[in-house]
Amino acid sequence: MIDLARLRWGRNAPGLLTALLCVAAWELVLRAGWLQYENLPPPSAIALGFVEIVRNGQLASDAAHTLQAALAGWIVAIAAGAPLGLLLGSSLLARRYSLASIEVLRPVPGIAFAPVALLLFGFSLRMEAAVIVLPAVWPVLVNTAGSVAAVHGRLHEVGETLRLPRGAILRKIVLPAAAPGILVGARLSLALALVLAVIAEMVGNPNGLGYALVREQQALRPDLMFAYVIVIGALGALLNAALIRLATGVFPFASGPLQESR
Amino acid sequence: MKPPRRLGSLRALWRDAPAARGLLPLAALLVLWQVLQPNPSPYFPPPSLWWEAALRLGSRARFWEALGATSVYFLLGLAAAIALGTAVGVLLGQSRLAARALGSLLEFMRAIPPPAVVPVAALLIGYGAAMRIAVIVLAAVWPVLLNVAAGVNRIDPLLMDVSGTFRLTAAQRIRRIVLPAVVPALLLGIRVAIPLAIVVALLVEMLTSLPGLGALMIESQRNYQSSEAYALLVLVGLFGFLVNHCFAAVEAAVLRRWPPRRFASS
Repeated sequence: MIDLARLRWGRNAPGLLTALLCVAAWELVLRAGWLQYENLPPPSAIALGFVEIVRNGQLASDAAHTLQAALAGWIVAIAAGAPLGLLLGSSLLARRYSLASIEVLRPVPGIAFAPVALLLFGFSLRMEAAVIVLPAVWPVLVNTAGSVAAVHGRLHEVGETLRLPRGAILRKIVLPAAAPGILVGARLSLALALVLAVIAEMVGNPNGLGYALVREQQALRPDLMFAYVIVIGALGALLNAALIRLATGVFPFASGPLQESR
Repeated sequence: MKPPRRLGSLRALWRDAPAARGLLPLAALLVLWQVLQPNPSPYFPPPSLWWEAALRLGSRARFWEALGATSVYFLLGLAAAIALGTAVGVLLGQSRLAARALGSLLEFMRAIPPPAVVPVAALLIGYGAAMRIAVIVLAAVWPVLLNVAAGVNRIDPLLMDVSGTFRLTAAQRIRRIVLPAVVPALLLGIRVAIPLAIVVALLVEMLTSLPGLGALMIESQRNYQSSEAYALLVLVGLFGFLVNHCFAAVEAAVLRRWPPRRFASS
């Protein structure tokens, strides 16, 4: 089965070659003046722009702000989504009386909450957190509920045969069995949180990487803007990889399901 | 990309829960909101005011123009993403070399979040229809591409050998072997792509104030028309809900024609 993520850079000579060729062609076409694009900087200018924002410390402070907001929103989303998911996954009654509501609320595009959050909280970190939390809670909730409900009935029976109290069954049997699925939800949620933080900063809170993009666009510094775009992409990939690494370290037996459904 | 099992499991859970009583918490929340917030608050207007705001919106031509613009660009962007994703996906699924050569580059492009692309596209392409469609494509093409590539890649080489033995023509081969493998994967990809395309279509409008529902939402917020902002939130949610349901119906119809098959190699 094809998996683009598995074609690692180092071991993939044709891939590296194509990427290098594209970058070289981009540089050459602009340098030679074959293509005139006022706002398209050549890769070398983007690299210099990257050095510039690293040197003057702007990148560090912008990235710190965005990361802080994304992580805070993510933690709140997990804190709210996991217990709710646990409840929904383990109780048929709770499912019956709430699943339809969730199905109605879940397809609301997350971004649609931004204007309302802006209205409630103004230009602030709280607004950013609100924009992040509402959409980021769904992957955690749905994956937790799904994987808790999917724990095999026989495992429950084992717990009952051993006369474990309900709390112990939950702690010792259900949670470990459902953990990989919950982690998938957490990972999807983190990726979402980063994107939403950037969106919130572009629409509202004038801080962080998202605002930096808009700022450099308006300052007509496309080189810096491209540098920020690449940093945002790299940050997302890095967070994702870190979480996979962490999860496979904690649950070595569950590497398969952890990598599915991006 | 495997089928999102979480969706499937949710569907399975859904089956044992009839709809009406499941809506109770949402209804209770709205009723509580209405009862506890009888005065028009600038921040939490009661749902009755949302309704009035929605009616006001509905009487305005601007709203319908905005709805039309968002729908048109959403559909155009989605169609372009499907066409491009299918073409590149088939290429990547068939050729190991193509997958290796383009894989890293595509993986890198996929990692860039769509909102970050909006200012870049605005600067390069300018504020206009082409930019809106380009940004939607850039966000929605990946699920289609990856699923189609996986679908083509899963075709058992044995089936291709058999088609050679039976001397099937290219058209027959595509109809009998390739399509049944690709169609279910393609549908899955589109299902994942639809919400992405909606979100990005709205986002572009919010960021650039090009006409559309997203621009209306930001405008209502800037003018402190809170009941209008809530009404638009509900309407946008309804839009997403309807689009998802329409597609689910299409998907069910198509899957009856091309049911997903299990292949020996998967």
